[in-house]
Amino acid sequence: MVDRLERLTDLVLVLLRDERPKPLREIAAEVPGYPAEGEARRQAFERDKRTLRDGGVEVTALPIEGREQVGYLIRPEDFYLPDLDLAPDEQAALNLAVAGVHLGDPSGRDALWRLGLPASAGVQPFADLTALPALPVLYDAVRRRAAVTFEYRGDPRHVAPALLRFRGGWWYLVGFDLEKQASRTFRVDRMDGPPTVGEPGSAVVPDDFDPSAALPEEPWRMGEEVAVPVDVLVDAGLAPLVVAEVGESTVHDRRPDGAVVVRLEVTNVARLRSWVLELGEHAEVLGPDDVRADMVSWLEATAATPVVR
Amino acid sequence: MPARVDAGQRLHRLLAVLTWLARQGRAPVAELAERFGLSPDELIADLELAACCGLPPYTPDQLMEIMVDEQEVVANLGPELARPRRLTAAEGFALAAAARAIEAVPGADPDGSLARGLDKLEAVLGHRDRLRIDLGEPPHLAELRGAVESGAQVELGYYSVSSDEESLRVVDPLSVLALDGHWYLDGYCHRAGDRRRFRVDRVLSVRPTGKTVDGGVSDSSSEGSSAPRPGDVGEAAFVPGPDAVVARVAVDGEGLWLTDAVPTVGLESLPDGRTVVLLAVASPVWFDRLLLRLGPHAEVLGPPELVDAGRRAADRLLDRYRRSAAPVT
Repeated sequence: MVDRLERLTDLVLVLLRDERPKPLREIAAEVPGYPAEGEARRQAFERDKRTLRDGGVEVTALPIEGREQVGYLIRPEDFYLPDLDLAPDEQAALNLAVAGVHLGDPSGRDALWRLGLPASAGVQPFADLTALPALPVLYDAVRRRAAVTFEYRGDPRHVAPALLRFRGGWWYLVGFDLEKQASRTFRVDRMDGPPTVGEPGSAVVPDDFDPSAALPEEPWRMGEEVAVPVDVLVDAGLAPLVVAEVGESTVHDRRPDGAVVVRLEVTNVARLRSWVLELGEHAEVLGPDDVRADMVSWLEATAATPVVR
Repeated sequence: MPARVDAGQRLHRLLAVLTWLARQGRAPVAELAERFGLSPDELIADLELAACCGLPPYTPDQLMEIMVDEQEVVANLGPELARPRRLTAAEGFALAAAARAIEAVPGADPDGSLARGLDKLEAVLGHRDRLRIDLGEPPHLAELRGAVESGAQVELGYYSVSSDEESLRVVDPLSVLALDGHWYLDGYCHRAGDRRRFRVDRVLSVRPTGKTVDGGVSDSSSEGSSAPRPGDVGEAAFVPGPDAVVARVAVDGEGLWLTDAVPTVGLESLPDGRTVVLLAVASPVWFDRLLLRLGPHAEVLGPPELVDAGRRAADRLLDRYRRSAAPVT
């Protein structure tokens, strides 16, 4: 009785070392452990092929001369990478990166194994990137320039993907919406179901498309309104935290009591309001008048919500 | 001992062991086993199996040359097996994401080894700059990372959202980690007498006390307590405490972002189309601010002591706006 692991290992070596596609009959003669003949042998071989594919080893089927008509091989370029030529310090750095960043599954460790760089244990993880099943699919689509299709808030979207971005705890896909002919940013966790990936090269993006411009840094700039400078007064207690967040360059005024006035370029007044309200009673919109009035009417509406019956 | 591992995973691991051995030539059994998460017995069994594999007709010179004794594995496997193997999409992503994440941490890759390694990797994988990771860089991050590394005890000025207060706390820092979009410091808080988790972007000041903390001491002092409790309740990584109240908040379509933004205990639908979100409220201040942001799109249905929270918070803030004239700057 030949162990299945032994059969798989032999199969990989046999399919890899011969450049000529081999029919199953020949494979079974060289790899011990397959059933003697017929359907059982075919099924065992198909199962092994699936196991290999699940593990990232692609078995290619090619037409051949003769009775069996199909032969199999593993193409070296499907199995090996060109030598990476990593220096010892670069290997160590990649090791530490995988050990330190948690992605919710062992893919990072598996990657190091395939590169011949098994990770050293005992490194404390220090970053947790939310793992989502769609991410490897989207990443592959981005790097192959393949168009992706997915449902987003109930609408089908057809997008040329350009960049995957992690920010504020969320993963975003930045791309060019092929239907709307405009740049769009999608939260990956809000896609309904797995994205479908088109042919490599099927995603054509206009020359002037800049994915890094598609995702503005601050929430109040995530809008298409005409930019308005808005002054926000922040009390002394929270002033250092706010200045650290929005940047020293936005400081418009420093009051003697330690409070600061920051001047923000706003293209989305609703998001600005939400950001200011997170500071509770420690911040106030000073102007312009219409933005301040918007805040006051929001608060009045909140104060006037009907009492529960 | 790992539970049952299927043949595909064993093959993957065995090929990894062989790749490593093909590069190293020899390795102590114990070290090799540890590297690949195996017991020495499992490792030896797999290697003996691999030693039987090779190319037909299985003459000795075609077999893989692997010799195993109690202490050491010696192998002569030829250059082919030493080559790096292709990565799956998930593996390529995981490796690039890990490397990009480290690059996003200021000062984490001082000599650029990682950047150079990632460059080589991406050149081979055929893409560059398709993945960007931003972990944020709050002002005191570098100082706190340094304190963790050197074991320096620090006095933190800290703003707590739950109490809406600034406080000074002496903390033995244990680790700094990025989680759910924020940086956190885990440490032993002398004020609380227990482990606490602090949001780094709410740290107002860091002052070394001059004491050095022996890594083991604070850890053992909190033995038995599992994950650190958040220094701030109602933040990410939030676990409802025993004293949390569950609020029922009805939101319309424009308030539904709530379900993405905070951890919810449950959801219900109302006949009028609104959604009732159940959330654990351990901090009234945090809840008030959430309700201010939801504004007229939310209505608290219960418990009774919270139904007026949003209205009262809005009234207090309106007072501030009424008191100040509207200076146009």
